[in-house]
Amino acid sequence: MSQKHTALSKIDALTQRTLTIFGIVSASFILLIAFFITIRGIIPFITDNNGAGAVNVWLFLTETVWLRGPTFVSSAYGVGFLIIQTLYLAFLSLFISFPVGVLTALFIAKIAPKRLASVLRSIVELMASIPSIVYGLVGVGLFLPWIHALARALGQQSAGGLGTLGVMIVLALMSLPTITAISEVSIRSVDQSLEHASLALGATPTQTRFKITLLAAKSGIFSSAILAIGRALGEATAVSLVAGNARSGPNFGLFNITSTLTSTMLEGMKETVGIDYDIRFSVGIILMIVILITNLILNTLKKKVGNVHA
Amino acid sequence: MRKKPWRQVILDGATYLATLLSVFALGMIFFYVIREGAHLLSFDLLRGDYHARGFVGLVEEETQGSFNLTGQQGENRYLVERLGLVLEQSFDLAGDGVIKVAYIDEASPLRRLTNQDPTSEQSFIGLETGAVLRRVSYVDHPTSLTSRGAASMARDMNDPDRALREVIFSTEGGGIRGSLITTLYLIFITLAIALPFGVLTAIYFNEFAPINRVTKAMRNFIETLTGVPSIIYGLLGITVFVPLTVRLTPAENANLIAGGLTLAVILLPVIIRTTEEALKVVSQDHRFASLALGANKTQTTFKVVLPQALPGILTATFLGIGRVIGESAALIFVLGAAIRDSVRIFEPSTSLAVHIWSMMTDEPANIALSSTIALIILLIVLTLNLAIKTTVWAFDWKGRRS
Repeated sequence: MSQKHTALSKIDALTQRTLTIFGIVSASFILLIAFFITIRGIIPFITDNNGAGAVNVWLFLTETVWLRGPTFVSSAYGVGFLIIQTLYLAFLSLFISFPVGVLTALFIAKIAPKRLASVLRSIVELMASIPSIVYGLVGVGLFLPWIHALARALGQQSAGGLGTLGVMIVLALMSLPTITAISEVSIRSVDQSLEHASLALGATPTQTRFKITLLAAKSGIFSSAILAIGRALGEATAVSLVAGNARSGPNFGLFNITSTLTSTMLEGMKETVGIDYDIRFSVGIILMIVILITNLILNTLKKKVGNVHA
Repeated sequence: MRKKPWRQVILDGATYLATLLSVFALGMIFFYVIREGAHLLSFDLLRGDYHARGFVGLVEEETQGSFNLTGQQGENRYLVERLGLVLEQSFDLAGDGVIKVAYIDEASPLRRLTNQDPTSEQSFIGLETGAVLRRVSYVDHPTSLTSRGAASMARDMNDPDRALREVIFSTEGGGIRGSLITTLYLIFITLAIALPFGVLTAIYFNEFAPINRVTKAMRNFIETLTGVPSIIYGLLGITVFVPLTVRLTPAENANLIAGGLTLAVILLPVIIRTTEEALKVVSQDHRFASLALGANKTQTTFKVVLPQALPGILTATFLGIGRVIGESAALIFVLGAAIRDSVRIFEPSTSLAVHIWSMMTDEPANIALSSTIALIILLIVLTLNLAIKTTVWAFDWKGRRS
């Protein structure tokens, strides 16, 4: 609408110009991030890293061990197993958080009386605002002993409970409010006439909720899952506390120790020079690419799913 | 005709169960943090140093006396009449078992010990009430250790045959003052940067920006920031903001300004979106009325539109504070995880969340104190949530009245 007004006064022109700068700077941060991390992250691949030799890109992407050889001497870093584990853990956590989250959303939107619904909504909001480090702490203090006991009961080895199952639970807890909140909004905005029609045709309320409402809201529900995956892929501190920081892999067993791209980036942050430090930026690039590709694939999938109307 | 009622029962049951599970999850978090951490919560914890300062004092002259300590008896308190001292089996701020000096007589010989620290200029040090006794050694007798308990230490010290040689003690550690102050600094620095920046950007997009492909792309770029994991912001912080602040300020290394700048970028999309939503609901009529009265666009925007968006800005502020308090990964990268007691803006230190991380990655992890800090964080988050609700509610109420 601003352009519709005739010539801006001098002061307005100045304001506009100043504000434009703010807009441009705000928009350029993402480019800044991409630029600087690429610059720093590419160093290990193109320099000889003080005698350690350049990191081989192909091996870096496919290797099953974080570092072969001694630190600062070897350049045989690899994140192949980390990529697989990161994706595995993120999707695994969805097995808990997705059903629980969507069903909770269904309850809040369609079953709960108004009062209860608003209380539950506040609970979900509160859960969403709990910092990840607190989830990590509860994971270590509460879940790890349980997991350890469970592993013992099943006759399995476990490193004090550290590993896949712990990460799965912590990530599920963290993404639960995201899934619930977004699914709830999309379930609530389903056209009521669809539901009325279903009920009028003789379907029970339960049938209507599961076969009509959830189906009609699937696009929003899918979006909530995409956001949850994105959050799970990038989560660092909570995961690093419960993962056990495996240095090789990939490990898939529920009681095996594991690691992710982010937890490895946090490992050994005390080093501030040399290749062992620079390599973290390379892992950062990989993390960004993994998140980007996952998002692209899931969004394409969502479009396909969303277009098919039952 | 009911068809397969059991199936519906299962589906309904699953829905109820899922909801219960969600509520249970939150309850469990609060329950755990309160159970593990509530007992350590105190004002001393908020005020205290994290690192205990240790002292080694040599006992030069020992007056064999007998002090009158009546009235000092109590549970877990042990009297040392020979030295005018009362020991207490107690816990430090972090919940570790220690032996504290509960009382020391004015004339006690332990008030004046020769300082054994060669780097210190202080030649005499003294035990004071509240000090933590670590070890007491004697001439020709085995040393009294904390691990044997206060009763044993008091008995040894009271033994007239044992001549005291060295007293090793420290201040009480485990407080979180440094991290608390750092968190406040970070909130202040971050908001001071992010709020004006975000609000002005929101004004630009909602009031001044033309709607075209370029501004659309700019909006998309800002929206993309929300999907970037915080650890990546940490990388941005060390590559851009730390060198920048080192060059422009007296800082020589990672510092709180760089941390605040990093957090400001994290907050930016949140503040822009929240403010813009508030700007959008400002009635178009108000803008036209202001313009019709002869105000120019700048005046209209800043004097008519912006004040009405204040609740949105307030909400953005609360959201921002919550984010700063909870942020850990980015800050670990920018500021490291070394806990400090004296906090300076041009030096690194830890926020409360990073304090937890630092203790949890220690061997052995201090879960009790971590839970206490988590409890403090949860209380703040709860308060912020209520504040946001109140803001929205008050705004709605005012909106309906006018």
